[in-house]
Amino acid sequence: MADLLQILVVGVLLGGTYAVVSVGLNLIFGVIRVVNFAQGEFVMLGMYGTFAASVATGLDPYWAAIVVVPALFVLGALVQHLLLRHLQAEPAMQIFATFGLLLLLQNVVLAISRGTAYSVTTPVSQISVGLGPVQIGLSRLIVLIAALLVAGVLWLWLQRTMLGRAVRAVAQDRRAATLMGVDTGRVYVLTFGIGAALAGLAGCLLAPLYTLSPQIGTNFILPAFAVVVLGGLGSVGGATAGGFIVGLTESLAGYYIDPALKHAVLFAVFIAVLVIRPSGLFGQVGAEEVGLREQA
Amino acid sequence: MNRPDTATMPRLAGSARQPAALVPGFWAGLPVMALVLGVLAAAIGFSAGDTFTLNILGTAMLFAGLASAWNLIGGFGGQFSLGHSVFFAVGAYTTANLYLKLGVSPWLGLIPAAALSAAVAVAVSWPVFRLRGPFFAIATMALTEVALAIGNYWESVTGGTRGMSIPFRLGAANMIFRDRISYTWIMWGFMALCLLVSLWLARSRLGYYLRALRDNEQAAGAAGIDVLRAKLLGMAISAALTGVGGGLFLFSTRVTDPTSILSLFEFGVKFALIALIGGMGTVYGPLLGALLIIPLESWLRAELGGLLPGANIIVLSIVLILASLFLKRGVMGALQGLRR
Repeated sequence: MADLLQILVVGVLLGGTYAVVSVGLNLIFGVIRVVNFAQGEFVMLGMYGTFAASVATGLDPYWAAIVVVPALFVLGALVQHLLLRHLQAEPAMQIFATFGLLLLLQNVVLAISRGTAYSVTTPVSQISVGLGPVQIGLSRLIVLIAALLVAGVLWLWLQRTMLGRAVRAVAQDRRAATLMGVDTGRVYVLTFGIGAALAGLAGCLLAPLYTLSPQIGTNFILPAFAVVVLGGLGSVGGATAGGFIVGLTESLAGYYIDPALKHAVLFAVFIAVLVIRPSGLFGQVGAEEVGLREQA
Repeated sequence: MNRPDTATMPRLAGSARQPAALVPGFWAGLPVMALVLGVLAAAIGFSAGDTFTLNILGTAMLFAGLASAWNLIGGFGGQFSLGHSVFFAVGAYTTANLYLKLGVSPWLGLIPAAALSAAVAVAVSWPVFRLRGPFFAIATMALTEVALAIGNYWESVTGGTRGMSIPFRLGAANMIFRDRISYTWIMWGFMALCLLVSLWLARSRLGYYLRALRDNEQAAGAAGIDVLRAKLLGMAISAALTGVGGGLFLFSTRVTDPTSILSLFEFGVKFALIALIGGMGTVYGPLLGALLIIPLESWLRAELGGLLPGANIIVLSIVLILASLFLKRGVMGALQGLRR
């Protein structure tokens, strides 16, 4: 019983990690219909930025978010403005471009860091909270809370503000939104910026938990894609729920089947969902095809 | 992309064939193919004794074949698989295990390797083909990760994380030679096979089906094409050739482990990258791409690799991004544009 509780807690905490990593990916996907393969690298940049900021200032790494999040916003906006703007309605070229970006960011960081592995230290990671028989690291709990908070704020922003409405309008129908006076180009730049900034925030929150390496982004991108596809394409709530589904699947499979095969089990679940409901558990039916639908 | 192709799509009603003059057939393309293969064979002949050049030529030809195989479903069919390294690995491990455990000559082992790669491809593609465009690419990328987990786990077949090696037992039957030129000739043969299959597919009914469903899947379905069947057939042929390439690769390097053979960049994405640079959905595009990218890559690795870690990949990734922006139809497309 204590075992099961432990596994569930680990799964939920892992789910928080995946939810926070994939919320930006899902936003970018839902609005711009671009599958950003480099999203994991944005998380990686967030981690390295956190490391650099905390070394430079000597402050707690969580403070680095003040610098890292806006920096990633600018980077994301630039990527959309300089690169992806020219590749609308060309899914094949988008794959190549964002994959090229993935390789570029990974190897630029490799070249600068010369492959040295860094780790970020904070007194927070020494503290743990007791939940019945289970001890939870405070830094992991922060990730979980932040994941829920980010999803909540993003949802409120999309529902309640004028700009959020504009973003949703563009996601629903690009042409109609343009006719209503929405500057779609600006909404795209903004959305990509926010998506990248959320990845930066995720990187900042996850930095104390991982040993930093240039390839770490690829560890996140596969589960993040699974989250987005499982939870529902372009739905904030769906992506959060998807994060927990993936986290729990991984921890249950790791315990009851074999830790080495947890990714294989995850993919089996992923495939099963695709076969039964290709638009994801909470997504709009038919959303899996919009990537190819012409959106001129 | 290739708009004129849809105009020449064979009619489905009845078995009435288009007049031979309108649709160039497989045989009409053979003279050019023979010329291209002849020139490349001459290049090998001239490089005899120069191990460095032979190595680069051999690698370029292997990748020309692999990119052509990818191009069958990725270029003609528009299905952006990033998971072809899985079929590559299935082929490699099938050939190696048949040789190491049952003593089957790798030449014979390539046949079950091709069959098994095709079978795996069909089995995993069946559900994944429900997805289109980028989602298909994501799912195939996930497939690579799963294969990596299984590869590292299944030690009796792959040697696990420590990898496996083919013992050095000289002999033509073992596909192990002392000289490099034999391997270069083997790769030439593999490339020739893949190019011939490409030429056949480009001018076959299946090839027209694939291009039709690439350009508009719904319209292709409405025109009476069994879309899923065409995709699965294209994928099976593509994976079978990729599996053969995997077997040849493993016997020419004689050592590998799951992490390197399932590397997304070294294989899975590189097949697509080479096809893109050369020109997707064309017969000779992947060959052109390989002849450009492989020498460039080995030159960059030699020049920059020691300077800064990853510098060679930085240059390649910039090439990839620029190609996606400015060279959407590849070198072949650019050449065709010049001719007009």
